[in-house]
Order: sequence, then C-alpha cells, then structure tokens
Amino acid sequence: MTLDPGGTPTGTVDARTAVDLTAAPEVAAAEVPPEILAESLGDFLRAWWLRLRSGNSGVLPVVLAIVVVAVGFQIANGKFLSPQNLVNLFEQSTVYMVLAMAEIFALLLGEIDLSVGLVMGFGSVVVGELVQPTGPGWPWWAAIIVTLLSCATIGLIQGTLVARLKMPSFIVTLGGLLILEGGAILVLGGGLVGIGNSRFTNEVVLYDIFWGRFDPVVGWVLLAVLMGAAGTLLWFRDARRRREGLAAPPPSLTAVKVVLMAVAGIVVVAICNVNRAHSGTIEGVPYIIPIVLVVLGASTVLLQRTRFGRYVFAIGGNPESARRAGVSLPAVRTWGFVLSALTSGIAGVLFASWQVSLTTNIIKTANSYVLLAVAAAVIGGTSLFGGRGRTIHGVLGGLVIGGIYNGLYLLGVSSQWIDVVVAGVLLAAATIDVLSRRGAPSRT
Amino acid sequence: VTADPGQTPTETADARNAIDLTAASEVAAADVPPEILAQSLGQYLRGWGLRVRSGNSGVLPVVLAIVVVAVVFEIVTPEHAFLRPSNLVYIFGLSTVYMVLAMAETVVLLLGEIDLSVGAVALFGGVIAFKLVQVPGPAWPWWAAILTSLVACGVVGALQGTLVARLRIPSFIVSLAGFLLFSGILVLVLGGADGFVDVSASVPNQSVIYYMVQGLISPVAGWVTLAVVVGAVGTKLWLRAAARRRQGLVAAPAGLTAIRIALVAVIGVAVVLICGVNRGTSLVTVEGVPWVIPIVLVVLGAWTLLLQRTRFGRYVYAIGGNPEAARRAGVSLAAIRTWAFALCSATAGLGGILLGSFFFGQYSTNTADPGQLVLYSVAAAVIGGTSLFGGRGKAIHGVLGGLLIGGIAYGVSLLELGNLATPLEYILPGGVLLVAVGVDVVSRRGATTGSVAHV
Repeated sequence: MTLDPGGTPTGTVDARTAVDLTAAPEVAAAEVPPEILAESLGDFLRAWWLRLRSGNSGVLPVVLAIVVVAVGFQIANGKFLSPQNLVNLFEQSTVYMVLAMAEIFALLLGEIDLSVGLVMGFGSVVVGELVQPTGPGWPWWAAIIVTLLSCATIGLIQGTLVARLKMPSFIVTLGGLLILEGGAILVLGGGLVGIGNSRFTNEVVLYDIFWGRFDPVVGWVLLAVLMGAAGTLLWFRDARRRREGLAAPPPSLTAVKVVLMAVAGIVVVAICNVNRAHSGTIEGVPYIIPIVLVVLGASTVLLQRTRFGRYVFAIGGNPESARRAGVSLPAVRTWGFVLSALTSGIAGVLFASWQVSLTTNIIKTANSYVLLAVAAAVIGGTSLFGGRGRTIHGVLGGLVIGGIYNGLYLLGVSSQWIDVVVAGVLLAAATIDVLSRRGAPSRT
Repeated sequence: VTADPGQTPTETADARNAIDLTAASEVAAADVPPEILAQSLGQYLRGWGLRVRSGNSGVLPVVLAIVVVAVVFEIVTPEHAFLRPSNLVYIFGLSTVYMVLAMAETVVLLLGEIDLSVGAVALFGGVIAFKLVQVPGPAWPWWAAILTSLVACGVVGALQGTLVARLRIPSFIVSLAGFLLFSGILVLVLGGADGFVDVSASVPNQSVIYYMVQGLISPVAGWVTLAVVVGAVGTKLWLRAAARRRQGLVAAPAGLTAIRIALVAVIGVAVVLICGVNRGTSLVTVEGVPWVIPIVLVVLGAWTLLLQRTRFGRYVYAIGGNPEAARRAGVSLAAIRTWAFALCSATAGLGGILLGSFFFGQYSTNTADPGQLVLYSVAAAVIGGTSLFGGRGKAIHGVLGGLLIGGIAYGVSLLELGNLATPLEYILPGGVLLVAVGVDVVSRRGATTGSVAHV
C-alpha cells in the first residue's frame, strides 16, 4: 500500500494484451455481445453459440432451470402448470424477484448486502404503521414515499460505512440487519400491524397493490398499448442505428425480439384471464406484474444506459482500473447501496401488502429472505464477484426459487426440506459461478 | 494470474525491508511482542505502552469495555443488582455459548475467512447429542453421544471447508448455504417446528449433560482445584521462563513472570470467592463454582495451545497474514483451511451442547435463533480483538468478547424497559459489532504489519 509499484502493472497488462491479439479470432469474438458484430440472423446465432461455449451463457442456464422445474413438478403433480397455480407462483415469487434485483446492485459492485431482507421487513412495518387510522393515519402515497426515503437513508448510512470507512460490506450489513430487526420490532411496538380493514381507503389501496388485478378487457388493451409502444421503440431505434451506420442488430433479429415479446405478453395475459377461483370469479392480470416490470425496466435502463451503470460495472470488474480511469469509487458504491436499500423498500411495500398483517415473527421470516435473494440473483446468472449480471437475472432467479417453493409445497414437502433444497441450489449456483469465472478468458 | 510477475514481489519486499530497517527503532520495537525484547519489567512496560499506542492493543480495549459495562450497569440497574454474585454466575453461564462459538469462529477469522453457519451447526450438534442419550431411544452413554456430535459437526465443517478451500467458493456463501441447510435439518431432527428434546437431571447418564453448565463444584473442592491449578500453571510458567533464561533464549523478565502468576492466582481466587457465595434462597443453598468455568478454561487452553504452540497454528497465522507468501513457503493452503473449518464446526458443536445444558437441558425451536447466535459470535470475536481480515487474534479474545456480549445482553434484560427491551436486544449487539469492526478497520489502517494480500 505504501509503495505503489507503478511500473509493474503496465508491464503485465502489456503482456496480456499481446496474448489477446495473437489469440484465435473466435475467442476474441466471444467477448463482445453478438448483436454488435452480427450482420444477419445466422451470424447472430453463430456468434451467440460461440459466446455460450466460452462461458458467457447469460440467461440460458436459468431459463433451462425454469423449464426443468416446470416440467419436473408438472410430472410430479398435474396442478403445477394450471393457470391458478401459475398466477399463485408468480405472486409467491414477486418479493424474491424484487429483493434479488435489490441485491444485484450490491453484487455488481463486488459487495454484498445482507440487510435486504430486514430493510424489506422494516419498510413493510413502517408503511403499515403510517396508514393506521388509529395512529398517524397518513394517506397511502405519503406513507409509501416516506418508507422508500427512510429505506434509502438506511442504504446511505450502510453505503457510507462501506465506501468511505472501507468496512467489509457483509459485516456492515450484518450489523445493520441486527439494528433494523430491533428497529422494526420497536415500530411494531410489540403488537401487530394490519392493513386488511376494508373500511379505510388507505389500507385498501395498500392491500390492492399486491392483491388487486386488472379487468380482463383492460388487461388486453394495456398489453396491446405496451407491445405497440415497446415494439415501435425497439424497431425505430435499431433502424436509426443502422441508418447512421452504428453497430446494430440485423432487422430479422429485431423482428424476432418484438414477436417473442408479444407472444410472451399474450401468454401471460391469457393465463391471468382464466377464472382461478374455486367459486365466484377471480380473473385478470395482477397489478404486481406491471410493478415488477417497471422495477425491472427502471433498473435495467439505469444499469445499461447511464453513466452510473457503466461505472458500477467498471468498479465490479476492476476497482483499481476504475479508480485510475477517474471514477469516484466512494460515490458510486454509496449510491449502489442506496439503490439496493431503496429497491428493498419497494419489496417492503409489496411484502406488507402480501402479508396483510405484520408481526414480530413475520419480521424474522423477512430476514431469511436475504438468502433467497442472493440465491435468486446468483441462480439467475449474476456473479458473486462483481461486474457481471443484470437485473433480469433477479427476476428469472426469483421465478426459479418461487417455483421450487411452490412445487415442493404442492407435493406436501415440509418447509424445512424446502430450505435444504434451496441451500443446495444456492451452493450449486455459486459453484457454477466460480467454475465459469475460472474458465472465462477475460478479467482476473 | 496467468502472467506470474515473479520479479515484482521480491522487489517490493526488498524495498519494504529497507524502509523498516531505516525506520525509527521505536516503530520497529512496536511490531515485536514486548516480552521478547524486554530485559526488565520497566522495559517491558515501556515496550507494551509503545505497542498499545501503535494500534496493537491486544486485549486492553475489551477489558476496559468489560469494566465500563460492569460499572455502568451496576449504576443504572434497579437496586444496583448487576454485580451480585448470583447475576455474575448467571452472566457467565449465558456468555458460555458466545465464548465457545467465538473461539470456534476465531480460527476461521484468522484465516481471513468467515463461517456464518456456526450458529446453525452448534444447534445441530446440540440436538444430536441430546437425541442420542434419550431413553427410550438410542440411550448412548453421555461421552459417546458428545463425541459423536462433535465428530458429526466436524464432518459438516470439513465439507464446507472443502468447498471453500478446493473450489474457492467465497466462505460467506458456502456458510450461508450451510446456515440455511442446518437450520432446516435441525428442525427435521427435532421432529417438526413444535418438536423438542430434553435431558433430565434425574437420569444418571443424562444428568452429566444436564449439569455441564448448571452443575456445581462444592466450595471446598473449588478451593482445592484452584490451588492445584494455580500451583501447576505457576510452576510451569516459572520453570519454562527460567529454562529459557538459563539457555540464553529470549525470555520474559523474572518480574513479569511473577506478576503473571500472581494475576492468575488473583483472578482465580476472585472467581472462586464469587462463586462460593450462597446465591440460593433461604430454603435452598446454591453455592460453588459451576462446571462450565473449567470446561470453558479447557477449551480456551486447547485452542491457545493449538494456535500458539503447534505447526498448524503457525500456518493459520501465516495464511491469514498473507496467503500467497504462505503458499510459496510450502504451506498447503487447502489442507489448513479445510482443517480450520472442521475444527471450527466441532467446537461450535460443543457450544451447542452447552447451550442446551444452559437452558435446563431442553432443546426446542425456540431455544435459540441460529442467525442471532452467529452474529453474536462474530461480534464477540471481533470485539475481543480478533481481526476480520485474518492473521490477528487469539482464543482468549473470543472469551472476553463473549463475556462482554453476555454482560450487555443480561444487563439490558435487568433494566425495566418495557417495549424497548426486545428491540435493544438486537440494536445493542449490532451497534457494538459495527463499532468493533470500525475500530478494527481504523487500527489496521495504522498498523505497519499485517496482510497486504487483501488490500
């Protein structure tokens, strides 16, 4: 630390660059996203296959895992893929997904946030307490804003300790979660906070965030508008890039993407519009699906299309080179923890709405969700070592975890065995992460 | 990793040596234990003062913290009850599990790793031992049950250690999964969420486990044992130092050895005196040293010997200080790491048995929260003075840190806080953990030695 061996790293880097230049062009191609290099759909598929073989498999393993989970449980129990259960499964996975997206902000930086579960628990208690007519009696929107702000402040404090004082993130967030557990119990005041009373508008709105759903017709209309907008945007952006001579995917690839999106949307709306009640009518797309999509979209834009996002990946890939390139490590790290806690706060609002009534025991359950969040992120394909991952990984990994929980529950397996299975899945995902990282040609 | 810059480390090391040699002699002295350099007691004290000021304060901060906590709680608790002998003995019993788990965690922390599964593994080990002595049931003799439980935990640790050491999966992920796994298995072994297992004081075989924490040595036997132990330790210390001096090796000055022996004797007498006070009611006499004190001392002695006097211990410090240097010196990183995790888990298993014994021989899903246990044990080790970054720490740090955590936890429960009591049980250890790590980070920044590998 005292002696900066300025001469040496340059020498090493030079040697490595030289090796890369002489390497087979296939290896070099595998490091660049295939849509940038490809001229046609065939080119794209070939490049994608190369990339896959070199260890950059992206979302493929987790998609395969989803298929395996779906097929396996469908064979074991015919109800697994029924429309009722699929909606149920998505509802169970929602909190895992949002929490995993929160964790990914920390993981991308090469840090870890063990407090996401309790930030969520704390947020849920705060939002529930603030709308109580017997207590503060705030309007629902004010309660949500204050909850998100207080969660972000928690992230700011933890992030500052990690980024400025250089304390290890897992210890800061371990201490943080202990303090938050106390804080949440303090806010609960030894009692119970419920939002299930239909006489109070603010409680009803909070309840509907998770349990509310669109009318089937509205669902179709929304889907059409959304698909039209997204498709047009995607098509025109790629067309403009091609016109201006920038690297862009071939038109057929853009078309395939738009069609795939539309098909997925139609399948989801069709499934959700089946009546899933034993008696009476429960049908329509739950609000949580657009909520998850908005969180996913916002975090993806932030990480993939802004300077902040590029800095996050730069720090995760190699903090020292990011620092030398002029990135302010403390500022970006602190913001990473703020975003992680803020997203956990969103999960907290969803959690409060999902659980309807909150007790000390439910706060303890919330704590255990951090393991599922890390597991979901890593299963989705985000690396534990920083610099590799996307928030979509959290959504897909959350779906796998939710699917395992749901499927094992349908089979009548006790919750302890489910924990054992999830632990095994987490270890397997971490092992794959370590092994694939070892094989990857880039990064040291 | 691919291009091994063989030249560079040597150059850097050379340069650093050069700096050290030209540095002020005081700084150099501060890096060496003062008992090695000192020729007289005065010199020793001066060396020690230098060392404290340079950041290597050892157990001093935690001892001061214990004194502060004791004084503050004595003042603020109703009827100034904190320092009553009955409370002090209870605090020791409560702290036992944190002490033992913190000693377990210490060896892993020394390597620069962490084991987040100690809490779950401890409860797992405790439940196994309790299940094996059940009648009707396996009805194993108590020693076989304890041994099996420790071996089972050791195997668990070896498995986790293998994943960390051979596959190089980060230890906090492996042990996070282990935590989840054994929290689940624990409930399965207990027989469901409302299952429980207990040992009874009236069954002779089970009573050994029941009395491990609560059982008492009669005051007379306590004094005799103390005399024998202090005599043996004193003679050993004195003769060893004398032999070293005679043979011209570096040795502590005679005055220092005498002070150390006196200190051991004074602490021993104080403990036996406190434990000898009758802390029962007017109807029942409860007096004498609880069994758990010698048990903790034996664990402490074993870990101290293993870490300070064996090749394994030296390798652990070497790896924690700088893994690459240790590897180049021929230390098998994978083997040492695996063994450390195995021994950590086996010690944790013993902690679990003691925990069940402390709760009057009963284990249920409510006995302890594995997550909270591990946080308290890491906090105890770090508060005691063990570094999170590897290479710095001793078993005694775990004992002192555990005592501090137990004292705080019990002191808070004595205060009549109403609704604040439960939240404070979480907030205080969390705050203390953050403060301890903050001190660790800051003191490490100032230190001249220590690992460069983690930077």
